[in-house]
Amino acid sequence: MAVQVVMDHSGDRRHHFDRNDLESVADAERRFHELTSRGFTAAARVGPGEVSKISAFDPAIEETLFVPRLIGG
Amino acid sequence: MFRFRRPLAGFRMRALRRLYQTHLLENTAEARGLRLLRSWLSPEQRVQLDSEGAFEVIGSDSGKRYRICYGTSTNIREVDLAGKPGNSWCFVPVGGLVAGDVMLAQKIALETGETAALMVANKVPLLFCSR
Repeated sequence: MAVQVVMDHSGDRRHHFDRNDLESVADAERRFHELTSRGFTAAARVGPGEVSKISAFDPAIEETLFVPRLIGG
Repeated sequence: MFRFRRPLAGFRMRALRRLYQTHLLENTAEARGLRLLRSWLSPEQRVQLDSEGAFEVIGSDSGKRYRICYGTSTNIREVDLAGKPGNSWCFVPVGGLVAGDVMLAQKIALETGETAALMVANKVPLLFCSR
């Protein structure tokens, strides 16, 4: 199972999907596009503590993190 | 001047560490945010966070060091090679997120898109920084 983690006011929301189930992968892909089109940044781990931004949906990624748009504080 | 400032800084650090350790054990938004943050930190950053309530990142474009302190505003401080603090920066993700989420968003932004992050950030000159 892979997971998409979306930051929100409750800490985070987790959406698990089965990489062997086409429908589940399609849902995950839809969620990826919906969130990134709303300004979320998608990121994945590339090493211990090392992070990379991702711009395209990749079902092979174990854990994708979605960070809301940044503003000056 | 330092005689008055140092005990206060130590007190603040201990209080922050206690707050952080208490939060980690709970099942609150704050605790979930901290657990998420910890799971995305490098082992070195995790040790720094556990012991100091803050961790350092390297800016992706300038190679500068930044210290991200526990908190949700004006909690990023530039640090020079000698460890001397510089200006503070403030940028946050929208949505009123908890400290762990904010700090993780700041880490990712500085490590993967420093220039873009600082373009939206507010800069606080050293003179006005309290952390």
